[in-house]
Amino acid sequence: MRKIQSMISVSNAEFRANEAHNRALAKAFREKQEAARHIRPSRDLERLARAGKMRPRARIEKLLDPGTPFLELSSLAANMAYGGESPSASTIVGIGIVSGREVIVRADDPTIKGGAWYPLSAKKIVRALDIATENRLPVIHLCDSAGGFLQLQSEVFPDRYMAGRIFRDQSILSKMGVKQLALVFGHCTAGGAYIPALSDYNVIVRGSGAVFLGGPPLVRAATGEDVTVEDLGGADMHTSVSGVCDYPAASEDEAIHIGREIVAQWERPRKWECQREPVEAPAYDPQEIYGILPNDVKKQFDMREILARVVDGSRFHEYQPNYGQTLVCGFANIWGFKVGVLANNGVLFNDSSLKGAHFIELCNQNNTPLVFLQNITGYMVGREYERRGITKDGAKMIMAQSCSRVPKFTVMCNGSFGAGNYGMCGRAFDARLLFAWPNHQIGVMGGDQAANTLAEVKLNQMKRNGEAIDQTEIDRVWDETRRAYQEQLSAYYSTSELWDDGIIDPVDTRNALGIAISASLNAPLGESGYGVFRF
Amino acid sequence: MDGDAERETAAVTTPTLPFRKILIANRGEIACRIERTLRSLRLGSVAIHHAVEVDARHVREADEAVEITGETPVAAHLDSAQIIEAALRAGADAIHPGYGFLSENAKFAKAVADAGLVFIGPDAETIELMGDKISARNFARSQSVSVAPSAAPTGDIDAFRAAAEAIGFPLLIKAAAGGGGKGMSVVRGANELAEAARVAASEALRSFGDGRIYAETYLERPRHIEVQVVGDGEGRAIHLFERECSVQRRFQKIIEEAPAPNLSAKLREDILTAAVRLAAKGRYRNVGTVEFILGADGRFFFLEMNTRLQVEHPVTEMITGLDLVRIQLEIAAGQGLPLEQEEAVAKGHAIECRICAEDPERDFMPETGAIRYLDAPTASFLRFENALDGGQKVTPDFDPMLAKLVVHGADRAEAIARAIASLHELALLGVKTNIDYLARVLAHPAFRAGDLHTAFVREHSAALAPPPLDAKTRDAALIAAALGLREFRDIAFGVPEPHATIGGWRN
Amino acid sequence: MSFKISLDGANHNVEIVARRPNLRLRVDDHEYEISAPGDVDDGRRTIEISGNPLHFARAHDGDRQIVRMGGRTLETRLVDPRSEADASGGGQDHVRAPMPGVVVHVHRVPGAVVARGEALLTIESMKLQMTLLAPRDGLLARLPGSVGDAFDKDDIVAELAPIADRD
Repeated sequence: MRKIQSMISVSNAEFRANEAHNRALAKAFREKQEAARHIRPSRDLERLARAGKMRPRARIEKLLDPGTPFLELSSLAANMAYGGESPSASTIVGIGIVSGREVIVRADDPTIKGGAWYPLSAKKIVRALDIATENRLPVIHLCDSAGGFLQLQSEVFPDRYMAGRIFRDQSILSKMGVKQLALVFGHCTAGGAYIPALSDYNVIVRGSGAVFLGGPPLVRAATGEDVTVEDLGGADMHTSVSGVCDYPAASEDEAIHIGREIVAQWERPRKWECQREPVEAPAYDPQEIYGILPNDVKKQFDMREILARVVDGSRFHEYQPNYGQTLVCGFANIWGFKVGVLANNGVLFNDSSLKGAHFIELCNQNNTPLVFLQNITGYMVGREYERRGITKDGAKMIMAQSCSRVPKFTVMCNGSFGAGNYGMCGRAFDARLLFAWPNHQIGVMGGDQAANTLAEVKLNQMKRNGEAIDQTEIDRVWDETRRAYQEQLSAYYSTSELWDDGIIDPVDTRNALGIAISASLNAPLGESGYGVFRF
Repeated sequence: MDGDAERETAAVTTPTLPFRKILIANRGEIACRIERTLRSLRLGSVAIHHAVEVDARHVREADEAVEITGETPVAAHLDSAQIIEAALRAGADAIHPGYGFLSENAKFAKAVADAGLVFIGPDAETIELMGDKISARNFARSQSVSVAPSAAPTGDIDAFRAAAEAIGFPLLIKAAAGGGGKGMSVVRGANELAEAARVAASEALRSFGDGRIYAETYLERPRHIEVQVVGDGEGRAIHLFERECSVQRRFQKIIEEAPAPNLSAKLREDILTAAVRLAAKGRYRNVGTVEFILGADGRFFFLEMNTRLQVEHPVTEMITGLDLVRIQLEIAAGQGLPLEQEEAVAKGHAIECRICAEDPERDFMPETGAIRYLDAPTASFLRFENALDGGQKVTPDFDPMLAKLVVHGADRAEAIARAIASLHELALLGVKTNIDYLARVLAHPAFRAGDLHTAFVREHSAALAPPPLDAKTRDAALIAAALGLREFRDIAFGVPEPHATIGGWRN
Repeated sequence: MSFKISLDGANHNVEIVARRPNLRLRVDDHEYEISAPGDVDDGRRTIEISGNPLHFARAHDGDRQIVRMGGRTLETRLVDPRSEADASGGGQDHVRAPMPGVVVHVHRVPGAVVARGEALLTIESMKLQMTLLAPRDGLLARLPGSVGDAFDKDDIVAELAPIADRD
């Protein structure tokens, strides 16, 4: 495969300006992430230490094989919700290696309100189990939670994809033969008790772990029975009398040690064999991405320049290079895995939509996973394009992409607006993993466009009602709309709501995709076939 | 099988020796060593063993084996009647007693002869004479062989103490009935004498069944020099040169060499002559060793005579090129001395290291364990005398000596260099041994200079301690150990790609 | 997670830092590149550290790994993460009889300080003898049975003094 020849100058003013801007964004992102991961009230940390417990990230580090990567997902979930009370949505999720096997690790964070589940916590856990289901990844639960956050129970408990979905997903995973291990470090109360109960294996720490449908206060209130935590649901009772738990551990260290040994008994997965080639680092420095991304979401850049800093050896075999040039399509390797890349270089026209649909079909035929690099403001609008059938051409691209049998991965590199999000495998289209860069913006339309549209609507309304044109009012509508969109368009908002699987630093994209693709190979390919293409 | 057929025809009396089959009343490395000579002479061998050593090498390498019983394994090997019975039932012609056990038991030698079997060794009277340390000393004195001033015990402890004090201090208390360091201790002052005598007597009673002890003057920095002698029982005897056995711990030899270093020609001649005179005048028959103690002032005194093959006989064999076990058989067969004195020539230098299961860093405490790996170097100049098997358990049932490493060199320096190199190459893992300690002894400048005496080990104990472990060696050992652990290798090598190459990355 | 190996009376950390292009280990504070890791078997072995061959002999004996190199024989032992993590046994106070039977031997008496894994008493049942061990370090508070006493399955046959409550 030929190497992409970069055309940019890394020393000109524009590059340097972009670089300063994007480095600052990356730095701000890392600072936010560090705060969400580590900053806790000292009172909570002290309480944990006094109880002889480890912090959840320390537990994860001990659980993982040394010298192996850990891809954390949605580190900034809930960062713009609940007044910031639930960093990372009080739970840690990631893909790592334990005893040589790829697993999903999910840990409650007891340093935040005792690990209580907020609504977004439940959503994040359900998402983790969806990832496990789609990719057939074993799950290790590190349980230490006070249960549902009662003040928001109506958003945690009753609906289809709320907390109950966790237990339904656990059952389905088990039916699929995908294993789950629960390490009980703290209390698993009420619904939370089902996590270890529905795990195929579980370990419980004596003295701090407990499993019960109702804790001592609830039992006392319900029946008047007076019973201690240990007696009601402690390690010895559950491992020797009730059989709810499998292994007692004298300490958290021992529980982790036992857990690793359990995982070592699991059969190694039979993975689907994606085309693999020898690994080559990109020929261009990934740090240059900071200088390529413009400092304005409306400014265009050539996605090939980004590709050259992400794919192996910067090698790229471009498909239909002369046709539909607003969509770059081609084959590349990422950590040795051959993938089909679709990347936006402008709005989608008829030809680029058709090219995209065709290329997606080629990748499905060739069993090649798909990687979507999004920077899309939408499909082309206008009379000529409608007459040419842009709507049905866009539909064909969506049809091909939706019915794909190969795994799909999406990276929101910049803008993701309107229907363009759909064709390029947005959240609703089951990318196995979907990441966003800090500069990413997402919405039905851009902020300026929305402000302009609503200002115009206000103007037309005034005209219709025969009112005098009040420019200040129009300006106010414009400002408010712009501000609301500003907040809701940002990557931080979307990651807070779990519309993605995490913001990543652009330079981490290759590693994230490599780990993601490797994880996806644990599930067999889907069935071939598409619906009806409107030709 | 061809081998069996060969042995069948050879089992007919060979022209040279009137034996068909010989029972070895011993075990371990000496039994294997004797079996080796028997094999080379095409003679049949019968091994005896206690139940705990049914799988031992000396049993496997013999043509036949007989199980003996006893309250302890050692007790079984001391059961004369049972052993003679075993020899008779097996149809053996002779019994070779090896060293230790019953080899210096006059009653046993007599019982063997009475049973119509040949005892490979001196006759019972000689054993009795030389076996009793006191009568041996008296005999030596009568033959003008100097004897260290001594005192014999009587029932009267006060008289013994007076006699002992007359010798002067320091003095050495020894068991009358046996050697090997048992029942021995150095007494430096009159106040220690009574207690030391009591302890020694009780140890002697336990080890030899005879609680008699005697005391003799203790020379400072004495050297232990012994002479290999061979007698025909008719008054003729020769020597096969001397050995130096000064490097000892707990009065037991750990390094022996032949010939003795730093010995003037005159002194050597005097010692050798005295030994031969003793053997000849005693009408000594078969192979034996006369032990002397040599002071720094050149005075030497008769210590005792061992009427058997010694542990350290290989060093003499290596410098003379002779097979002492074969000589024992030939003399027992009535063939007289194997060569004239002038024909005995010493070439080069030989050193023997006794490999023991013990911890030199804890005062040579005996160790137990199992031999998990054994790999000894081989060379034309090297003998590794042992009866070891991989996986073999080292228990407190028997002596802690596991093996002997014997090397030969053109001169003493070469012998030392070869011995050190061989000890370094020797791998005996699973039980603590003194292998590395012995190498440090050989490398010590005092040893190299031949500045030896029986307190060598104690005098240089600080310098002989293992050098501190440097960080690099320690880390290398930790890495080597980790790479031998399955659980470590599973984690090191069981991680799939691309994770193994990505390494410890976090986003 | 790291491996703790004891050598020369001290515990040392052996950590895996990287695997490519070669296995890279950190032993306490120093890093080493293992250019050739050899195999896992006992016997004479050669590995390469930073390109330099290291010849040694190695044998395992139970949980010991014995390494002979440079004229020294060194004993190492993998420190069990469990025993190292918590010799206090996490609060298990009671020893229960696994089967009905009779006390045949009492090894320790109340008031004795016992170590985790130490024999407390031997019981016999249906010609089968079993020695019951202390589940953790601690003070033996009660051992109600004497030789000849009978007991049922799950009866408490030994009790350790409880450790002060955790917060």
